[in-house]
Amino acid sequence: MKITLLQGILLSIFGAIAGVDSYTEALYIFRPIISCAVTGLILGDPITGLLAGGVAELTFAGLTNAGGTQPPNPAVCGIMTVVIAHTTKVAPATAVGLSLPFAMLMQYIILMYYSLFSGFMPSLDKAAEKAETKKFSRYVAFSMAVVGITFFIIIFLSSYAAQAPMASLVKAMPTWLIHGFELAGGALPAVGFAMLLKVLLRVSYFPYLLLGFVVASFINYSNVLPAAAIGVVFAMIDFFNTKQNQKLKDQINEIKENGGAEDGI
Amino acid sequence: MVSNDAKKYTKISKKDITMLGLRSSMFQLGFNYERMQAAGWTWAQIPIWKKIFGKDKKALSEAMVDNMNFINTSPPLVAILLGLLASMEEKRVDRKTISGLKNALFAPLAGIGDAIYWFTIMPIVGGICASFASKGNPLGPIIFFLVYLAIFLCRIPFAHLGYDMGTKAIDVIQENSKIISKSASIMGLTVIGALISSYVTLSLKVKIGSVSLQKDFLDKVFPNLLPLGFTFFLYWLLKKKKVSPIILIVVVFVLCIACSWLGIM
Repeated sequence: MKITLLQGILLSIFGAIAGVDSYTEALYIFRPIISCAVTGLILGDPITGLLAGGVAELTFAGLTNAGGTQPPNPAVCGIMTVVIAHTTKVAPATAVGLSLPFAMLMQYIILMYYSLFSGFMPSLDKAAEKAETKKFSRYVAFSMAVVGITFFIIIFLSSYAAQAPMASLVKAMPTWLIHGFELAGGALPAVGFAMLLKVLLRVSYFPYLLLGFVVASFINYSNVLPAAAIGVVFAMIDFFNTKQNQKLKDQINEIKENGGAEDGI
Repeated sequence: MVSNDAKKYTKISKKDITMLGLRSSMFQLGFNYERMQAAGWTWAQIPIWKKIFGKDKKALSEAMVDNMNFINTSPPLVAILLGLLASMEEKRVDRKTISGLKNALFAPLAGIGDAIYWFTIMPIVGGICASFASKGNPLGPIIFFLVYLAIFLCRIPFAHLGYDMGTKAIDVIQENSKIISKSASIMGLTVIGALISSYVTLSLKVKIGSVSLQKDFLDKVFPNLLPLGFTFFLYWLLKKKKVSPIILIVVVFVLCIACSWLGIM
């Protein structure tokens, strides 16, 4: 299926909005589950949008901006996954794999902007010193316009302009390579989960990870809600225990402080 | 110290605080490596300072310059801090106290925010909505959007909370940041365990004689052992070998394509 010029422009406009959102983290429409669904609607292929969103969202479950790191761009990944699945008719899992180079390209552009926008700071400092609030707001808005325009151009080029070479590239790929990308689409969520574990996992928390794993492996339920509910229960137990312990500690300290003198009598 | 209630809403109205909360959603405007969110942080407060300082350009300039220092905290929670500081600006507490407070609080707030929003809410909501979307159910993206819309709107009550609590908020944030992070970690890890079992798909095709290694052996020993092992292999690479996430993604692709070529998976 071909992408028309109008669809290309609509995708780019959505890309610009979702791109700025991925920068500001305000509405989270940049997350793949949303950007895939919207792209599917624009392309008149809502089911592909939904299915791709399910796969791509999981791929990015752990690939987050937490702690100031910048992952491959989720908005670009979401849009390109649906574009590739729609135009070349590959499975969504394969399309996620094929969309990642685009998402990584955007990641590097944003990292470049993180450095480049430091260049705005002297002008902003000057505006702050003179209390020129309008000028200050203009600078800030300008930096976001740059981000939006960049997303517009990248999405337009990679969705509308590159669809023919993309289609012939996919056509030229042998089945084992396509299957390899599909496998990668299924295995990629592990990267994100490993990144989450790197931040969260302590030896003393390991039982909780195992608990969730065992629950989901043996309880046949369509999503992770049972594990989440059990997680809430354990988090609450721990929360109250810690509070209790803290109270006890405070009491012991109080007794120690007061008790020293009394013991001496 | 003057009591908190006596001097409330002298110059700023409830509406101003609501606006402050909404403007805090653009907190990452102009994000850069040099001072992170300083520009968006200052930008969000401009209207409220104008109300407080009136025609006093000098005070406005001082406030702007002072707030252009480095800050890095949690976007969905920053409204609490903004509300708290607005209540202090309104009482014209001296600049050093205000910036000292800001510097003392932004890091613990970032810790709470990452733990709650990225490590707990994101995997739970993303995982559940993705499981809907994977079955072609439009509820997936719709629920996701509504949850994050609610998180977006929470900035308004958060700004009011910070403003109303005033200096009392300091103790609450500092005392509870560790406990909340711990409880959120427990919940997050339980869910991640479930996600690994449900959404990392790896399955071997290898047969030894007529025995399928996956169906007749691994699945019988412990289902989803392979995804768990693979996630921990990636975790080990990240944590102990300091491999960057981008290299990990490449490793996944190379491994999957190689396995596909060899017919192992």
